[in-house]
Parts: sequence; C-alpha cells; structure tokens
Amino acid sequence: MDIILTALSQSMLFLPLALGIYISYVILQATDLTVDGSFVLGAAIFARLLTANVPVYWAFLAAGLGGALAGIGVSLIQYKGRINSLLAGILALFMLYSINFDVMGRPNISLFNSPSLGSFLGMNDMNGNWIFVGVVVLLILIILSLLLTTRFGLVLRAFGDQQQLLKRLGHQIEWYRFFGFALSNFLVAWCGAMTAEINGYADLGMGFGMALTGIGTVVIGRQILKPFYKQHHFHLLLEFGGCIIGVCLYFIAINEFLAWGVNPVNLKLLLGLILIFFLSLTTKKKQGFSA
Amino acid sequence: MKMCVIDNIELIFPMADRPILRNINYSIEYGDRIILLGGNGSGKSSLLKLLNRTYQPTTGKIYLENKELRTIPLHVLSQKIVTVTQDLRDSLFFSLTVLENCLLWETRFQKISFQIQKHQEKVFFQDYLAGFHGQLPKKMDVCVAALSGGERQSLVLALCLLHPPELLLLDEHTSALDPKIAANLIKYTERLLEEKNITCVLTTHNLEIALKYGNRLLALAEGQIRLQADGPEKSFLTQEEVLERCYL
Repeated sequence: MDIILTALSQSMLFLPLALGIYISYVILQATDLTVDGSFVLGAAIFARLLTANVPVYWAFLAAGLGGALAGIGVSLIQYKGRINSLLAGILALFMLYSINFDVMGRPNISLFNSPSLGSFLGMNDMNGNWIFVGVVVLLILIILSLLLTTRFGLVLRAFGDQQQLLKRLGHQIEWYRFFGFALSNFLVAWCGAMTAEINGYADLGMGFGMALTGIGTVVIGRQILKPFYKQHHFHLLLEFGGCIIGVCLYFIAINEFLAWGVNPVNLKLLLGLILIFFLSLTTKKKQGFSA
Repeated sequence: MKMCVIDNIELIFPMADRPILRNINYSIEYGDRIILLGGNGSGKSSLLKLLNRTYQPTTGKIYLENKELRTIPLHVLSQKIVTVTQDLRDSLFFSLTVLENCLLWETRFQKISFQIQKHQEKVFFQDYLAGFHGQLPKKMDVCVAALSGGERQSLVLALCLLHPPELLLLDEHTSALDPKIAANLIKYTERLLEEKNITCVLTTHNLEIALKYGNRLLALAEGQIRLQADGPEKSFLTQEEVLERCYL
C-alpha cells in the first residue's frame, strides 16, 4: 500500500511533465529534448529566487516563464536555423546546461531554510506542499482541457498533423510552434520547480532522462488505452487519461522494482527496455495501418 | 476580364540541366475552365505551383487581379486560390475528424479564437456535406483516415467550395482513382464549377478528358506552350491533331 501511495504522489508531481511532453510529442508531433534542460531551469530559477528572498509565488511564476522562454528559444532554433526539432532540442539542452549553471551560481541549492510553496496556502510544511502540487495539477488539467477544446486548440492539433496545409489555409504556423513549445516547457519548468520544493534542493543534474521519462509515460498510457480509441477520434478524457495512467504505471513500476531489490543504478536500463517494448508496439500498429 | 496574367515566365531549378518552364505567356479570364494538358515532366504541376506561390519564377512575373502575386499576403492568397492535388494528404488533416476538417477550412475566412465548438456548426456542415456525398453527414465525428477514397475526394471538393475561391487549381486530382470514378468526379466537378462560376485550371495527361471538358485548352511539352485552343477552336480539335502538335 505504501508503494502505491508513494507512486501516486510521485505521479501527481510529475503529471505536469507528462502533460508538457504530451503537448510537444502528441499534439505538435515533435520530439523535444529541451525538457531535460527546462526541468532544471524551472528548479534553478525557483531555488535561486527563493534564496534571494523573492516571494514564493513570484519565484514559482518566474520558473514557469523561464521554461516558456526556453521553449520559444528552441522554436527559434527550428524556425530561423531550419533545424529539425530533435537536433534543435539537443542544441537547446546543451546550451541550457550553461544557462542553468549561471542561474544557480553553483551546482546545487538547498531549500531547507526557505519558505515553501505550501506557505502560499498558509501551510508551511510538507502536507501544504503536496496540497499546493495537487491544486496546481488540477488547475493545469482544467486550463488545458478548455484550451484544447477551443478553435485555437484544434489549430494546434492541425499543426501537428499537416503544417503545410495549415499554412496554405493562411495561418502563420510559426506562432503555433512558438506557443506549443512555450506551453510545453512552461509545464515542465513548473514540474522542475515543484520537484525542487518537494526534494528540498535544486541540482544541476536533476533533469537527466526527463524527456525520456515523459515520452515513456505518454506512450505507455496511450498504448494501454488504445482499445478505447474509436477510429483515432480525439477525446479529452482519453488523452489526459492516457497521461495519468502512463505516469502512474511508470512510478508504480519504479517503486516495485526498488521493493524487489533491483539496484537503483539498473532502473533506467529496465525502464528503457519497457519503453522499447511499448514504442515497438506503436510502430507495428502504424505499419499495419499504412499497409 | 483578365483575372491572372502570366508574363514571360521562366523557371529553372538549381542543378537541373534544362529550364522546367520557359517563355510562358498566358492569361486567365474570370469564369475560365482551363484544361492544362501535358505528359510527365512537361511542367504542368510546376506551372500550378507558380500560380499558388509554392515556387517563385526565376524570371518573369505573375499578376493576380493586377497585383503581383508575390506581394499578396499569404492569408489573402489562401482566400483567393485553392489547390487540390492527387495526394489528398495535401488537402485534408487525416488524423482529425470530418467536422474538425470543416472547421479548419472555415478558418480561411475567420480569425482564430478561443471559441468552443457549437452544435449549430455541426448541423450546418452536415447539411452542407449532404449535397456532396450521402455518407459524409453520418461520419462527422469519424477521422478522415477512416474514410473511403471516394468520401475523401468528395470532402475535399466540398471544402474547396465551402467559400468558393476565385481560382481553383486541380492538379491531376483524379489520377489516384479508377477511370470510371475519375470520369464521374470530373463531370461532377465541371458541373459544380459552372454552377458557381469558379475559374479553374485542371491538369491532366488524359487526352479524352482534355478535349471533353473545359472551355480552354493549354498544352505543354518540355516546359513550353505547344498548343492553345479556346472556345470553338477547342471543340474542333481531334486527338490526333493534339498528339501531333504536342509531341505527346
């Protein structure tokens, strides 16, 4: 039971990451590796501002905006440099390492003596932090649900399907790219800031493998819900349900592996193998579809 | 009255051994239904891509309603010119539903808003699509990827004519269909274009279609105009004559 509870709380914390990846990987149909860097950027800005006695809500907002700027940056690399999204993400990640170090001023910052996110709700303890995380996640889900059901959300989805057609219909498609990547990295940066708060520190290496973790959770969730998708019809409940189920299963698997005595060093190897299995399922389905 | 003027166009691709198009002078008038005939590599599709601004001419200019084509903003051009190619992925969002495709094509004339889809819109498009294909109104929430070839073709045509463009470019849009369905679709298209008085350029390499439909014929070979026939002159052309003059 403890394992399930731990996994569920971790899932709630990492859901903004999964939703951010969902925006870039599923909606925009782009693989954005910037996430590894923007996760740390969110944590770095948040920690640095908190230690500089900036009010906790401003620090949290600035963390998200920092992530959004990173998203706009990677879109500019794609647009101005005519570089594909994968390579642009790697370049942005590479540059963000230096930026993150500049922001933090040192490899890690402890937050044990700083006001917590829970103080925003008048609860300066760990319970307050978790309630804050829950409220933020709920708000994100509501706002994304509203956004994706509007005409603007439809155009974002169309951007991922057929950019050139959207352009021929008279749309300035670059704005959608900017917005999509900014939103995705905004969510990831918030996830980074909340993780730093819960862990009690921000660290330069805390973003390692976050892009793959996010893609893994999204792919696993979507594969599990595949039988419920009717002729590939977009349904919000299924889309977000896939992210939630994927992220929960991912953390249940991690905690189960640890409970079975698997060496934490080998965790990424095991999770990588699981991800290969689910990704290969997606590829096989696609081949069958096009044939 | 002239709608579009092609003024001494030449198109050369880097690394190509010969110009794709050269010495092209032609004008399109309102209400024209031009059949653009030519074999593979004759330059038909390239000429259409110049007209919809996918390509820029190496020399020469194209004017649309007395304005140089390259100076017209993209969103304005998208309202005036619509292109349909044989690959329907160029005209439809395959992972989106029929209704979502309708709403997206509607954005040619609307500013993007944060408005949520309304039931009235669905009813409107159901009524509209019923005039094109009996099955489409029942499939509003089905993804385009799950439609049959005929349903997709009808949907593309319906979307193009939702807000009739001033110039419709049909680039061998029936070549992926079997001859019987293709002939029916061209006949149907011709009737619709005539009813709505839409100016159209249709490319084909099929001589029978070229002579049967449209009111003007323009034949290309090796990137040059080899034959022009308008109105009555076109109706007296024979297949042998066209073959001989165009070296097809």
